[in-house]
Amino acid sequence: MESLFESELKVINMGLEGFAETLKERGTAVMHVRWQPPAMGDDDLLSLLDKLK
Amino acid sequence: MVLKSYISENTFRDSVYLMRLSNTIRNFEGVIEAEVIIGTDHNKKFLQSGGLWSDEIEKGAGANDLIIAVKAENEEKAEKAIQGALDELNKYVESENLLGEFIPRTFETAKKNLPGANLVLISIPGRYVEREAHQILDAGLNMMIFSDNVTLETEVALKKKALEKGLLVMGPDCGTAIINGVPLAFANEVKRGKIGIVAAAGTGLQEVSSLISNLGEGISQGIGTGGRDVKAAVGGITLIQGLEALLKDKGTEVVIIVSKPPDAEVTKKVLEAAANSKKPVVVNFLGGDLEQIKAAGCEPAATLKEAAEKAVNLIKNENIGADIKDLVVDEELVQKTRGIFKDEQKYLRALYAGGTLAYETLIMIHKKTGPIYTNLSFDNVQKIEDVYKSTGHTIIDFGEDEFTQGRLHPMIDPALRNNRIVEEAKDPETAVIMLDLVLGYNAHPDPAGSALEAIREAKEIAKKEKRQICFVTTVCGTDEDFQKRSVQVEKLKKEDVLVFPSNADAASFVAELFG
Repeated sequence: MESLFESELKVINMGLEGFAETLKERGTAVMHVRWQPPAMGDDDLLSLLDKLK
Repeated sequence: MVLKSYISENTFRDSVYLMRLSNTIRNFEGVIEAEVIIGTDHNKKFLQSGGLWSDEIEKGAGANDLIIAVKAENEEKAEKAIQGALDELNKYVESENLLGEFIPRTFETAKKNLPGANLVLISIPGRYVEREAHQILDAGLNMMIFSDNVTLETEVALKKKALEKGLLVMGPDCGTAIINGVPLAFANEVKRGKIGIVAAAGTGLQEVSSLISNLGEGISQGIGTGGRDVKAAVGGITLIQGLEALLKDKGTEVVIIVSKPPDAEVTKKVLEAAANSKKPVVVNFLGGDLEQIKAAGCEPAATLKEAAEKAVNLIKNENIGADIKDLVVDEELVQKTRGIFKDEQKYLRALYAGGTLAYETLIMIHKKTGPIYTNLSFDNVQKIEDVYKSTGHTIIDFGEDEFTQGRLHPMIDPALRNNRIVEEAKDPETAVIMLDLVLGYNAHPDPAGSALEAIREAKEIAKKEKRQICFVTTVCGTDEDFQKRSVQVEKLKKEDVLVFPSNADAASFVAELFG
């Protein structure tokens, strides 16, 4: 964690896009992830996919 | 009256964007109720309970589809609102195409495209956090989890893994943090400096960091832990990890810990970790045992304001008590305020957006005012039966789940609280309406302006019945926030609203008034 305090903050934002926008406006390095529920939001399919991993 | 819906297949937008869009089309002429929402099972139940259900939604909408549901006066008005929502959604796609920016869909792709990324801010639905968070830790990145509804088991597992790897997991349910001077999620624009804060209390961190900045000093790091961190089941993992990191950090000279009283064994561990430090540690366990903190060699602070002031004095190498005045209440103002009330106006109605600020008020006033009814969890007070109706002295936190299900947090959209201000004015027993206005990134662009619309209406209602209500407020934030604190304060003062320099000052005024 000490290395986090000593380096430039670079953020990956996953979820609410507004959080990435405010960081970008401030000049913080940020990459937004347009996240979507995996397996089309189908829980049964998701647990099947997780088993395959 | 008609109910119309539209389903846009394979369309996903984040919840805050959709709630804003819902608000936009609710304001269309002739619209009675409207929601733009993703078709998950949970959301479908929400539509059912809200009377926006149709066969079309039941048959046609899946978890990756977007539902626009509108109840309106007639067919034409409903269609206009649906078209309005579709136009907004199209604008969004067009602006994205125009910018031509690459927007990754997964963490792995984002990581490849942002070399040196060192922190992930997660605000996805809680039940998906576990999957994503493990791969983030495995890839060696720190995390701030804004999402709530993450299980306790997941929180413990993630924090233990992070600890082993020397990584930081802030949250779940962590609404604010400042890392390397960068405000994350709901944080304020504060000066950089040498005071480090670790907080299990979101608006507590906002209040302390803002007060420090307004006193001319600054923040090195502001680490949020999420409120559950200080429960025995989690064991204060992040609080202690954050504290130890700040004690080692070259940029930090004084440390502040802010939290509701942790479970006993966690308190012991936290104070032990602080006791070994060469740096001064100021501790505010809201309502916790000050003597226990002192005995551990730390500096106890009874309020968030006192924590900020003590840390500033320590940085300035001044006597720790220098300039710290006890919360002196203006007796003249108290007498004058009492003089405006009719006999039946006996009660406080405190309507809060910030949970920690509401809690601070509760612990500061309950011994003086007598019984308080609230939706906050606190051993010594009565849980309110109906959160939508005040009784006696009432303190309501509008950030609690019952008010935020399917709605924006009151710091972003104060509509529910504004309605309540007007409702309280109709009650002849209401004497004081107390509000916190929280500024900062991602918050409402003009909290004072929005509250004043409701305050004016409330004043009119009271005036018609020859009553006067006293409005007590506190503005949490700085002049560097985009809403600019001094502008917000001026607006309120112009309309005879009392504005106090901190939440603790406002609470002590109210305690005196009803004491």
